[in-house]
Amino acid sequence: MRKRAGASFYIFLSLFIFVIMFPFLWVFLTSIKPTIEIFGGFNWFTSNPTFQSYENAINTRPLFLYMWNSIAISSLTTIIAISVASLAAYSVTRLPIKFKGTILGIVLAAAMFPQIAIISPIFNLIQGLGLRNSYMGLVIPYITISLPLAIWILATFFKKIPFELEESAKLDGATPFQTFRKIIFPLAAPGVFTTAILVFIAAWNEYLFALTINSDDNWRTVPVGLSMYQSQYTIPWGDITAATVIVTIPIVIIVLLFQRRIVAGLTSGSVKE
Amino acid sequence: MGKKKGFQLSESQLGYLMVLPALVLIAAVTLWPVAQSFWNSMFDYRLNDPTRNQTTLSYQIDLETYANNYFYIDRDLSSLEDEAEGTDLQPIVMQVRQDIDTYHEELTTLPEVQEQYEIVDEMVMNFEPVNDRDLRYSHLDNDFAEGYIDLLEDAQDTFTDSIAEIGDGDLESSLSQATATLASVDRSLIRPNFIGLTNYGKYLTDARMWSAMWNTVFFTVVSVFFELTIGLAVALVINRAFIGRGAVRAAVLIPWAIPTAVSAMMWNYLYDGQSGVVAHYFEQLGLISDASVLLSTGSGAMFSIILADVWKTMPYMALLLLAGLQTIPESLYEAAEVDGANKMQQFINVTLPMLKSAILVALLFRTLDAFRVFDLIYVLTGGGPANSTESISVYAYQVLFAQSNFGEGSVLSVIVFLAVALISIVFIKLIGSDLFDGKTGKN
Amino acid sequence: MRIWKKVLSGAVALSMVGVIAACGDNDNANETPVNDDPANDTENNVDNADNDGADNANNENDGEAEASEDQEEVTLTYARGQDATGATNILVEAFMEENPHITVEFREMPSDTGQSHDQYVTEFSAGDSTIDVFDADVIWPAEFAQGGYVLELDRYIERDGIDMDDYFEGTVDSGNFEGRQWAMPKFTDAGLLFYRSDIVDEAPETWDDLIEMASEYQGEEGTDYGYLMQANQYEGLVVNAVEFIASYGGSVLDEDQNVTVNSPETIAAIEKMIEIVESDITPGNILNFDEPATHTAFLEGQSVFARNWPYMQAMTEDEDQSQVAGNVEFALLPAGDEGSAAGLGGWMSMINRNSEHPEEAWELLKFMTGPEGQKITAIEGGSAPTLRDLYEDEEVRDAAPLFADEEFVNTLENAVPRPVSPIYPQISDLMQIELSRALAGEITAEEAAENMESSIESALAE
Repeated sequence: MRKRAGASFYIFLSLFIFVIMFPFLWVFLTSIKPTIEIFGGFNWFTSNPTFQSYENAINTRPLFLYMWNSIAISSLTTIIAISVASLAAYSVTRLPIKFKGTILGIVLAAAMFPQIAIISPIFNLIQGLGLRNSYMGLVIPYITISLPLAIWILATFFKKIPFELEESAKLDGATPFQTFRKIIFPLAAPGVFTTAILVFIAAWNEYLFALTINSDDNWRTVPVGLSMYQSQYTIPWGDITAATVIVTIPIVIIVLLFQRRIVAGLTSGSVKE
Repeated sequence: MGKKKGFQLSESQLGYLMVLPALVLIAAVTLWPVAQSFWNSMFDYRLNDPTRNQTTLSYQIDLETYANNYFYIDRDLSSLEDEAEGTDLQPIVMQVRQDIDTYHEELTTLPEVQEQYEIVDEMVMNFEPVNDRDLRYSHLDNDFAEGYIDLLEDAQDTFTDSIAEIGDGDLESSLSQATATLASVDRSLIRPNFIGLTNYGKYLTDARMWSAMWNTVFFTVVSVFFELTIGLAVALVINRAFIGRGAVRAAVLIPWAIPTAVSAMMWNYLYDGQSGVVAHYFEQLGLISDASVLLSTGSGAMFSIILADVWKTMPYMALLLLAGLQTIPESLYEAAEVDGANKMQQFINVTLPMLKSAILVALLFRTLDAFRVFDLIYVLTGGGPANSTESISVYAYQVLFAQSNFGEGSVLSVIVFLAVALISIVFIKLIGSDLFDGKTGKN
Repeated sequence: MRIWKKVLSGAVALSMVGVIAACGDNDNANETPVNDDPANDTENNVDNADNDGADNANNENDGEAEASEDQEEVTLTYARGQDATGATNILVEAFMEENPHITVEFREMPSDTGQSHDQYVTEFSAGDSTIDVFDADVIWPAEFAQGGYVLELDRYIERDGIDMDDYFEGTVDSGNFEGRQWAMPKFTDAGLLFYRSDIVDEAPETWDDLIEMASEYQGEEGTDYGYLMQANQYEGLVVNAVEFIASYGGSVLDEDQNVTVNSPETIAAIEKMIEIVESDITPGNILNFDEPATHTAFLEGQSVFARNWPYMQAMTEDEDQSQVAGNVEFALLPAGDEGSAAGLGGWMSMINRNSEHPEEAWELLKFMTGPEGQKITAIEGGSAPTLRDLYEDEEVRDAAPLFADEEFVNTLENAVPRPVSPIYPQISDLMQIELSRALAGEITAEEAAENMESSIESALAE
C-alpha cells in the first residue's frame, strides 16, 4: 500500500480505465460526428469533427437550466440529508438511547419498498402541499429516499471512532453536541464526504419522481431533460450524446473537489482500535 | 441550536431529539405511503374503473352517475311499458318501475343524501362536472344499498332473459335500451371492494410473478457479486498512492454519474445489432456468435442488462469500500509487515476483517437497490424479449400505471417488500452486533 | 324552466364567442356583443380589471378589444409530446390570434407514449387541473373515459353543429366509448409498406409474394435484409400483429367485447408472422426492432422492404440522413387471405374533466381538430388530417406527396383500429407477451391464440 507503483501497475491501470471509460468515450466520439456518420460503420474518429451537436443540444432545449435545477436540488438534498442523517446516526451509535435496532430497522424498511409503488401517494402529498414544480417538491422525497443509506453508512463510520476521544472531551466539559461537532464529525469526514457524494449523485440521477412531480419545463432536472430530446419516432443521438457530455462535467468537477476529503479523514495517530 | 438546550437535556433525551427529524421525514414521506400500499393491496382497487376507484368498506353511491342515469330510467321504462303492452312483460315492467320509484324516493329523502343530491342533480342538469369527491360520493346504509342493487340486478336479468325469448323488433330494442340504463344506474352504486388476501393468492400462484421473481433474483445475485469483486479491486487500487490518483478517482465515478435513464438509452445504442459498437466488438472477439443476439435472445438480454448495471454501479461500490478502507489504521499493516505477512496475507488477515461492516452495508444497500431494479430494464429491454428480463418492479409498474390497477399493483409491491425484508434480515444478522451494540461495544 | 334558461343564455353567450372568432379579421363595427345577463357582465368586467395578462392580448388586438372586453381572460394549458416540426406552436398562435382572450400555454410531455400515458393517469387521478387540453394516442379514449378523467364532448359537438361524418370513421370510433364521444381526432396514421424502387419495380401483392421477393432481392444494392417490421415486445408489435390478423380476416375483440382472437384466421396470421420473423429476410435481432430501429436501418440502405408509419416517407427524402433518397416508394401492406389491412395510429385530443375552463378548452379543441387547425398540422407538421375534405385542398396536397395519393388516403380511411376497450393497456400487454413468445419460437401460433383468448377473457371478466 505504501509502495510506489511500478510501470506494470500503470499499464494495467490505463487498460482498466480505458475499459471503464469506453462507453463514455464512445459517447464523446459520437457527439462530435456529423449526423450522417453516427450510424453505419464503426469508425472511431470522424474526419469532419463538428460541434454542431453541441450547438443543437444547447439551443433546442434549456440544457443549462436543467443543470442549474439539478445542481440546486441535489445540493439542497445533500446538505439537508447529511445533517439529518448524521444527527440520527450519531444518536444511534453514541448516545444511550433505547430501541436502536428498531430505529435502524424502521429506517431500513423505508428503503425496501419499490419506489414505483410510492410515486402516487407522494405525488398526492406534494400536490396537496402545493409544491409541484418547485425545488422543494423534489428535495423532500429525495431526502427521505437517501436517508436510510446515509444513516446506515454514517453509523458504521461513527462506530469506528474510539470512545476514548469522546470521553476525554467529555472530561473537558464538552456537551454531546459539541463532541459531535468538534470530534466525531471531523474524524468521520471521509464517511461524511463519501455519503455526500452518494446522496448527491443519487439525487442527480433520479428520474421517475422528477418526471412526475416537476412536469413544467422550467423545473425539469437533467435526467428528464435529456430524455426530452427524443421525439416519438426519432432519437437525435448527436444531441443526446453532446448533452450527456456537457452534463457530466459538473459531476466530474464536484468529485475532483471532494475526493481529497474522501481519503483525508482519519489519521492513524488518533485512532486506536 | 443545542448548546444551551444540551445542558438541560440528558444524553438520552438529546439522543431521541437527534433521531426525531429523520424518523418524522421517513414516516411522513415513505412509511405512510408504504402503509397505504399494504392497505390498498387488500382491495379490488382500480383507478380506471369508476365503481372501484377508491377503497371502501361500505356501500357508497356515485351521485353524479346516478343522477345522470336516473334521468333516463323513467323515459326508458315507460317506453318499454308501451312496447310491452298486452304481453306478459307489461306488469313486470310496471312493478320494476314502481319499485325503483320507491327506492329513489327513499334515497333522495335520506337525511345524509338529500341536500347533496339536490346540488349534484342541478349540476348534472347544467352539464357541470362534479369534481368535488365529497360532494359526488355519499355513504349508503348496507340494507338499503343491497336491496336497491338486488332490484336492479333482478330487473336486468329478467329483461335479458326476455330479450333471448323475443326476436328482433321494437320491443327488443326498448328492452336492451332499458337494460343498459339499468346497468348504468347499477354501476353508480359502489360495492365495498375489500377482498382481503385474495389477490395475494392470485399472484402467489401466478407463473408470470414467479418468472419475474426468478429474473430479479438472478439479476441481483450476479450483478451484485460482480459489483462487489470489481468494486473491491478498484477501491484497493485507488487507495494506493500514485500519480494522477485524483483524476482516476473522478474517471472511475463517471459511469455512475450518468443518469440511469440516459445510460440505459446509451447502452441500447451500444448493444444495437446493426450499429452498436459494443455488440460489434463482442462479435469480433468471438464472445457472441452474432451481434444481434445481445438484445434479441433472453440470455443475451439478461447478460446485457447485468453488464450495464455492473458498469454503472461498480463505482458506487468502490466508493463505499474506499471509504471503509480509510478507517483501517496504517499501524495494523505496519504490524502485519513486521510479522512478515505478505500482501495476500495482509489482505486476508487485516483488510477483509476490518472492512467487514463496510462490505456488509454496501452489499445490503446494493442488494436492496438491485432487487428493486426498474429504470434500466424498463428503458433497455422493456422486459422483453418474451418477458425474459421482466423484473418484479417492472411487472408491478405495468400493473400499477399502464393498467391503473392499484390493488394488484400494491400486492406485487408488498411481495417485493417482503422478499427484500427477508434478505435484509439475513444481512443484519451478519452485520449484527457490529452496529447495534450499546455504548460499550467495540470492534 | 330555470335550467333551460341557463343553458340557453349560456349557449347564446357562447355562440357569440364563435361569431366573434369567425369574424375575427373582418370589420364588424356593427357587432356589439349582446349579453342579456347584466350580473354576468359586471362580473366579467371586474375580472378583466383584475387581470394583468389582459393588457397584452388587448393591445395586440385593438380592433377586437371591444369584443374581448366581455370575455374573461383565460389561460389554458395544452399538453402533448415533443413536436420537432414546430407545427404545434404555429397552431396555438393561430388559435390565440382568433381568440385574443385565451392564452395557451404549452406543456411538453415525454415523447414516449407509455410514459406520457402514465403521467396523465397520475395527474388526472389525483384530480389535478393544471392540464386543460391534451393529445391522446388513439388507444386511450376508452380507458380515460371510463376512468372519468375526461369530459364528454357530445353536447359541445351538437351545439356547435359539428358533423362527425366529415371525419374518417375509424378515427371517430376510436374516440367513442359507450355511445358517447370523448375525443376529437386530430391526425391519423396508418402502416405502409416502403420499398426500394431501385431494386424492385413493384410492391408485393401478398405476404407470400413479399417473402419470395425479399429473399430474391436481398443483397442487391448493398442490402443486408429483405424486410423490416416492428417485433420488439412493445405496443408496436400489437399494431403489426393487428395488421396481419386483419389481413387474414381475423380480429381480437368484436363489437360486443367478445374475445374472437382464437380463430383459424388469427392463427394463420400469427403463423405468417412467425414465418417472416424466423426467415432469413429479417435481421437476427428483428425481435428488438421498433420504429427508430426500422427507419435507421432502412435509411442506411440495409433493407429492400420495410413496414413503417408514413412519417418515414419525409425522412427517406432527406439527404442529410438518408442514403436511399430518391429510391423509395410506398404501397399498401401486403394482403393475406382477406386483403390488405393497415393498422390505425394517430392522435386525438381530449379535455381534462377537472379543467377550470371547459368552454375555452373546447374552443381550443374545436379549433385544433377543425379544418383550419388540421390544415396547419398537415402543412407544417406533415401529419395526415382526419377530415376527408382536406385531402381535396391544394395546399394540403402540395405539402406532402402522400396527401395527394389516393391510395394512401384510402389506406388511412380504412385503417384497422386496435381493440377498443377500457382495459386496452392490459389487453395490449397480454398480447405483447404471447406474440413475443410465439415469435421467439417458445410457443406455437395455436398456443399463442389460445393463451391470448383465455388471458384476455379473464381480464375482461374481472
